[in-house]
Amino acid sequence: MPLLVRLLADPGQAAGLGPAEWDLALRQATSTSLTPSLLALLEERGLLDQVPAQPRAHLEWVRALAARHRQAVRFEVECIQEALDAVAGTAPLLLLKGAAYTMAGLRAGAGRLYNDIDIMVPKARLDDTESALMLHGWVSAHLDAYDQRYYRRWMHELPPMQHVRRRTSIDVHHAILPETAPVHPDPDKLRAGAVPVEGRPGLATLAPADMVLHSAVHLFFDGEFDKGLRDLLDLHRLFQEFGSRPGFWEALPARARELELGRPLFYALRYSRRLLGSPVPDTVLAAVAPLGPGRPLLALMDALFERALLPMHASCDDAFTGSARFALYVRGNWLRMPPLLLARHLFHKAFLTKNDAPETA
Amino acid sequence: MLTVASLTRTELEARLAGPGLPVRTGAFVSRIHSPLRHVADGIELLYGAYPLLGEDSFADFDVGLRPSGGLRRWYRPQVNFDLDGLVPFEPLPQAHAFPMLEWGLNWCISTRAHAYLMIHAAVVERDGLAAILPAPPGSGKSTLCAALVHRGWRLLSDELALFRPEDGLLVPVPRPVSLKNRSIDVVRGFVDGAVLSRPVANTTKGTVAHLKAPADSIARAAETARPAWIVFPKYEAGAATALTPIPRARAFFRVADNAFNYSHMGARGFATLAGAIDGCASYDFRYSDLDEAMAVFAALEAPQ
Amino acid sequence: MWRLRPGQTLQYRQWDGECVLYNDLSGNTHLLGDGAIELLLALRRGPATRAALAAVLQAEFDIDPAALDHETDTLLHDLKHLYLVDTMAC
Repeated sequence: MPLLVRLLADPGQAAGLGPAEWDLALRQATSTSLTPSLLALLEERGLLDQVPAQPRAHLEWVRALAARHRQAVRFEVECIQEALDAVAGTAPLLLLKGAAYTMAGLRAGAGRLYNDIDIMVPKARLDDTESALMLHGWVSAHLDAYDQRYYRRWMHELPPMQHVRRRTSIDVHHAILPETAPVHPDPDKLRAGAVPVEGRPGLATLAPADMVLHSAVHLFFDGEFDKGLRDLLDLHRLFQEFGSRPGFWEALPARARELELGRPLFYALRYSRRLLGSPVPDTVLAAVAPLGPGRPLLALMDALFERALLPMHASCDDAFTGSARFALYVRGNWLRMPPLLLARHLFHKAFLTKNDAPETA
Repeated sequence: MLTVASLTRTELEARLAGPGLPVRTGAFVSRIHSPLRHVADGIELLYGAYPLLGEDSFADFDVGLRPSGGLRRWYRPQVNFDLDGLVPFEPLPQAHAFPMLEWGLNWCISTRAHAYLMIHAAVVERDGLAAILPAPPGSGKSTLCAALVHRGWRLLSDELALFRPEDGLLVPVPRPVSLKNRSIDVVRGFVDGAVLSRPVANTTKGTVAHLKAPADSIARAAETARPAWIVFPKYEAGAATALTPIPRARAFFRVADNAFNYSHMGARGFATLAGAIDGCASYDFRYSDLDEAMAVFAALEAPQ
Repeated sequence: MWRLRPGQTLQYRQWDGECVLYNDLSGNTHLLGDGAIELLLALRRGPATRAALAAVLQAEFDIDPAALDHETDTLLHDLKHLYLVDTMAC
């Protein structure tokens, strides 16, 4: 297992590392955008003093970035709340993914940098939401007519919107999976389970189990694994945070079944425990075992995922890594779109979009 | 302590082509990889005095200057700069490999070392007090910097003013001074025994050469300096030498405009810059004659 | 009724009639005149009405009484736009 993965799973190993090992660990961390998370993990455990002076100083470089990012997210969320105040009625603003972790002060948010704020609104409110955002300075991403149609017809979210002055991005979801996916977790159920953010009136996040399931869906349905280890770390941190809450483990498999997300949960629990040593009880693994694939497919998926979830760094590659990532990219898209649509989508993107798409900022 | 000069040319080339050459330049350690002759030439000429670290040491930056692959290997061969596999720039002609190393290292520091408030400026020091020279390209900052460090001033950097937020002190990264076009001949004339890399023509900045940093500046690379003067230089042919005070609030914004990471540093950045402006005298400086410029700097008095 | 926006700690420096201020919420840095900083410092002491704030300006500066209300309103409007101050229900 690569050094970085071992460190993330067991930060205590930091005490025994020499300069050359720190050199490698930090290079692996940088290539996966995990340096701020590593800093947060070490600090949480009081281990920073055990890091030799030079790597310690190098780690500190990202502290300012993490702090600035948190500040920017808080301000952005405040601006979004103001913009959507008129549209929301009594409903709180429901945050997803990174923005939810940050605003709720979760461990998964510590040192976690990301580019977009993700929110979820009822499908019926989508147009009003888009209008309200435009009124307050956001504009829809410049996509050609095909991509605009694609998004609005098939996707579970509006095309990304960017604020003209601040250049920040917002993704407005109405569901957590596109309509073309083979399963349809009910957004109304997710909204019904939402929990308020303490100390921030008008803000809410998904319930703990739903947060885990959304993260699992995001990792195992999306094709893009260059951030795979980072997304797996999110799950690991969520398990660490919620695992000690009474009833959390017991309710998780049932909720997955209810939302048709048993397969992603199976993978999330399996790989999080295998790679990062997440505190998943054996009983829970047993409970989700029927939700997993058959043996032959499982062996293949193990081979694919255990390569693709490693840091994207030369030190972690073997001969099969490239093809593993490609296979999972196609699988990711296939899970979200039926094959016919997929072929047309990829064809169009590859042969038409490149020539006439303008440079994005 | 071993320096780069302790290696023979053959050993130097072997390290560069193989495990990499770990070199300390003030606050940063870079492990340099390159099979290219131009890079070995530049390092042999300009990097002899810098500490050479062991193969198992920790490096802040693992950088490579490697030939681009494919057909270009044979026809007008090019070089890529990479930071641990990340390629941030378009390739350049191989003849530009050494300047590309210098630009690449500046890019590494200015985009990553956010422990410091980093200003695009030259920094020189005498008697414990430092002058910071922020300046957009074309202002004559580098010529002035090269001249000053051969007239009694120590070089902290020709490009990167690194303010330490904890105490407001400046941290050195005394690498070779980058010179362009006319400036190369001016410095050759002004500095006795100037050691300059072979000028490289037709870069995006014109003709470029690098001046070896003075031995004393390299020897004192671990010594911080207290900021005392902020001087915005402007070379104007034939102009009378003039040093004009700048109101502090205006100086604040002009320095922030020249910063790499003012916004990233948040409240700490504000406090660090405010502290610097508080403690410094800020000036606009117009000059055309280098000797007169040296005299003005020599006469600068410690601020109250 | 006006108040300092929650979260603003007013880190600033004042030099020769000009003030640089760090905005804790947006992360921006502003160049403000003396009038603006006086209003902010007054609000740091506690929420105040527009009339009270106008009085602060009148006491500190040489303002034509006819222009006072307009000056105050303009300043408060600008500061609100910068997320430094906010109105609140009385």
